[in-house]
Amino acid sequence: MKAGEQIEGLRREKDVKRNLLTIALPKGKLLPESLALLSGVGLDCDEVREDSRKLLFEIPEGEAQVIICRPTDIPTYVEYGAADVGFVGKDTLLEENKDVAELLDLRYGFCRFVVAMPAGKTPPRLADGGYDLSVLNHQRVATKFPRVAQTFFSDLGMQVTPIKLHGNIELAPRVGLAEMIVDIVSTGATLRQNKLAEVAPILEATTRMVANRVSLRMKYERIQNLADALREQVQRGTAARLSDLPGGKGERV
Amino acid sequence: MQRSALGLRVPMGMHDLLPDEMALLEHLERQTLDLFSRWAYRRIQTPALEYAACVQPDVDREDQLYKFFDRQGRILALRPEFTPSIARLVSTRLRASQPPLRLCYGADVFRNSTPHFREFRQVGVELVGSAEIIADAEVVALAIKSLEQLDIKDFQFNLGHMGIFAGLMRDLALPPGLREGIEEKLARKDMVGIESLVLQNDLPERTQDILLKLPHLHGGEEILDEVLGWSEDSGIRAATEGLRQVYRYLRDFGVQRPVALDLGILRGFSYYTGVIFEGYVPGVGFPVAEGGRYDSLYADFGYNQPATGFAIHLGSLLGLFPVWESGEADILVFGRDVPKVIRRCLELRGQGKRVEMALGPVTRTEAGNLAEKKGIALVEKV
Repeated sequence: MKAGEQIEGLRREKDVKRNLLTIALPKGKLLPESLALLSGVGLDCDEVREDSRKLLFEIPEGEAQVIICRPTDIPTYVEYGAADVGFVGKDTLLEENKDVAELLDLRYGFCRFVVAMPAGKTPPRLADGGYDLSVLNHQRVATKFPRVAQTFFSDLGMQVTPIKLHGNIELAPRVGLAEMIVDIVSTGATLRQNKLAEVAPILEATTRMVANRVSLRMKYERIQNLADALREQVQRGTAARLSDLPGGKGERV
Repeated sequence: MQRSALGLRVPMGMHDLLPDEMALLEHLERQTLDLFSRWAYRRIQTPALEYAACVQPDVDREDQLYKFFDRQGRILALRPEFTPSIARLVSTRLRASQPPLRLCYGADVFRNSTPHFREFRQVGVELVGSAEIIADAEVVALAIKSLEQLDIKDFQFNLGHMGIFAGLMRDLALPPGLREGIEEKLARKDMVGIESLVLQNDLPERTQDILLKLPHLHGGEEILDEVLGWSEDSGIRAATEGLRQVYRYLRDFGVQRPVALDLGILRGFSYYTGVIFEGYVPGVGFPVAEGGRYDSLYADFGYNQPATGFAIHLGSLLGLFPVWESGEADILVFGRDVPKVIRRCLELRGQGKRVEMALGPVTRTEAGNLAEKKGIALVEKV
């Protein structure tokens, strides 16, 4: 078989790549802080720009490359090992439900998952001050996160119908597509503008560093060193950032 | 009947294998099964379709099964793995055999969960009836040899022990529910979740340290000494020393180099009880080999036997090899006298050649062109 030479060639290529760390970063609002964090631990990301057409950036001196992906695709890149590590919101992680190792809470990109509905139609209050969600059984929930919504209501023993939308979720209850929404909020301004009221918190989410299961074993030192450096960086930055956060860290799942 | 668009597709996760791909898969399987045979493992076959009660009695975990009903309304399932089927087989039909039993298999398993591979070829072994540490070592060594003899370079095996985790959880006397929470998060490799569980629970500092360190503990024998420093518990001690001994035997088998000890590997909701291991290959995003000791599974089948084994996900290795270009035949035979052509073909085949017979009358030029297009090196006119 003439394949012997091919195998050798393939192997040399792999040897070169063996130490290369591929880092997947989410485009959009999480990108600037992601780049700042990486630069802060010595991976020079000055060249990485979202507005360029490039999607792959080499950082030769760091033996790394950065790829820019849609946030919802990051768990997929990491699960298949196309990226060794990725930065991704816990919200996306829960919704995509991929098999990746979650290494570190990077603490930025804070947001909350909530159930909201038109301000005039909120359910009656319970003795503890919360809303009685049980009257919402069999209703429709518009959301970008059908898995998160379904899990939340199922755990309450309720049956609702999630309706998957890709944007402008707030519109759905106003035109009767759904009775309520499950969405992420950071300040609540969008809800108020659309005359929606929060009726239940679901969970809080921040950005996480995730890793491929096999990369975590085969490139353990590199990934763990990066995680340790990032942890230090995050802890240093937390005090400065705490004032911006509406809540603290932590999650309710 | 004319096929609809659906009739031209295959279901998600299913794959056709073309001749070159099949030749490669067969080669890998043959090499591996031959190796198993030299280690005295005998090949068996179990049915693809089993009762769900055999392969996965836990209804919460059934979602990966392809399920059907038989005519009596009982639930059937395509096997998602071999270990329970072999436990059934041994418990019912091989009780009279002298243990230890060494069995191996090579066939497809079916999982209705992963998007990419839903039917894939597994090769693996089961060593039934020995609780000896050397039995664990033999199985791990054979798994490593399997990848080695396929000429896969840069692979790595990580070796852990379920008993160390279980013992520590017992010894640390955690509040109710916390153990399950940590076990579940550790199996999913959710380090952030472990950290937040540990910090929420107001545990003694030493307990916190151990729980946070455990998922990251990997390396050589030194990590075992660290564990021994954590606890006097006899179960932990036995598990740790067992793991150390397996690791040392691997050196005697000549396969210790690609092995790391790793206390962070833990498979949730599994039947494993002792030494467990995973094999990794660069470029494949999930473990290509998985195995370990499962000493309580056979009791579920009414035949209490210790056992250990592993399976290799052969389908996932195909992509590591270049396309197998074996050609269709060694020689093309053509001629006007059909009975003579048939005789010559049979004669050459009798000599072990792969012989293609030209169908119908062809000229020398046509035969030459045909052979060139098909990659056949020789042409013979009769």
